[in-house]
Amino acid sequence: MLPGVVGTIQATEAVKLLLGIGEPLIGRLLTYDALGMRFREVRLRRDPKCPLCGTAPTITDLAVHRNGAGGACDVSPDGHPEGVAAAVAPKAGG
Amino acid sequence: MKTLKDMLADARQVVPEEGPAEVARRLAAGEKVVVIDVRDPDEYRDGHLEAATNISRGFLEFRVGSAVSDASTPVVLYCQTGLRSMLAAKALKDLGYSNVVNLQGGYQKWVQSGMPVIREVPMTQDQIQRYSRHFLLPQVGDKGQKKLLRSKVLLIGAGGLGSPTAFYLAAAGVGTLGLMDGDTVDITNLQRQILHTTADIGKPKVESGTRTLKALNPDVDVISLPTRITVDNVMDVIKDYDLIVDGSDNFETRYLVNDACFLAGKTNVHGSIFQFEGMATVFAPNQGPCYRCLYPTPPPPGLVPS
Repeated sequence: MLPGVVGTIQATEAVKLLLGIGEPLIGRLLTYDALGMRFREVRLRRDPKCPLCGTAPTITDLAVHRNGAGGACDVSPDGHPEGVAAAVAPKAGG
Repeated sequence: MKTLKDMLADARQVVPEEGPAEVARRLAAGEKVVVIDVRDPDEYRDGHLEAATNISRGFLEFRVGSAVSDASTPVVLYCQTGLRSMLAAKALKDLGYSNVVNLQGGYQKWVQSGMPVIREVPMTQDQIQRYSRHFLLPQVGDKGQKKLLRSKVLLIGAGGLGSPTAFYLAAAGVGTLGLMDGDTVDITNLQRQILHTTADIGKPKVESGTRTLKALNPDVDVISLPTRITVDNVMDVIKDYDLIVDGSDNFETRYLVNDACFLAGKTNVHGSIFQFEGMATVFAPNQGPCYRCLYPTPPPPGLVPS
């Protein structure tokens, strides 16, 4: 049932974006805890040091994905401010 | 007596003009511009700017209030060649609308400049009934439904997240759905991947997914992409779509989709789940953060279930 909730949120956001209506989840991470039955919202900010969309990007094409490094960039984590990553663990499934 | 030439010259004194490139730039930047096509309805139906609302010149002063709520709202007017709308823009100025510009050269120049236009395709009787509940929603309406029918969404993954997303987008009448997944249906998928049935075990997920979506809504053009998304195909695949929905189940794909969408300027609707927790957000290039802002580095292998 859990993927149904998240997938339906994705569908809702898609329709809103296509129609240009409402407030999309840009810069907001919505988390869902099925056992506690709670939604939580975490504000997300752009990271100026982001290697992709930051002020001095080091990723300007997809070459980083060709080296078999799991697609992740090879940046040191201490180059980034404490993000929400610590508070919100990334989810593995799809 | 004033000639038409005099009237146009007077109007040009107070109404600034912008060319197609400038108007296109403002629209692409997401500026809240109200675009009004002041031509007759038959001219509008034959082709118009996607953002445009049709209010014929003769009704403009009567109906402008319903399209433009605030006198300071930016408004762009156009007609076929830019003359009728110049006089119309002057009339709006006289009514107190302060931020009105005329599309220089009108619809004709817009088309000659290679800018995109929309041709009204009348809905069938079945479509009018199928989407009737959408027409009741003022934020969707007939115009919104036509927009959905013209829209193209790529679903990366036809699994746990992709299934419900695709189901609802097909039901809502999103005209083109790209379904991308290289997997076949396994019995262990069926407790959550609702596009597929027991009889589909062993078949490609895009095959059962396409059948289910077409059965729900034959209006939808389902593009079946029976491959995994890779660094070699991602740019070529995403370029055809208005929006990307990432329902993938691994970090490698998420970083790849994130990077490709950012580089191609495509908005990515992200979702992920683990056990009893899920999350969703939207990564819109240059409007908000991306996946790498959120997770600069992938999680340690221990966090990733096999």
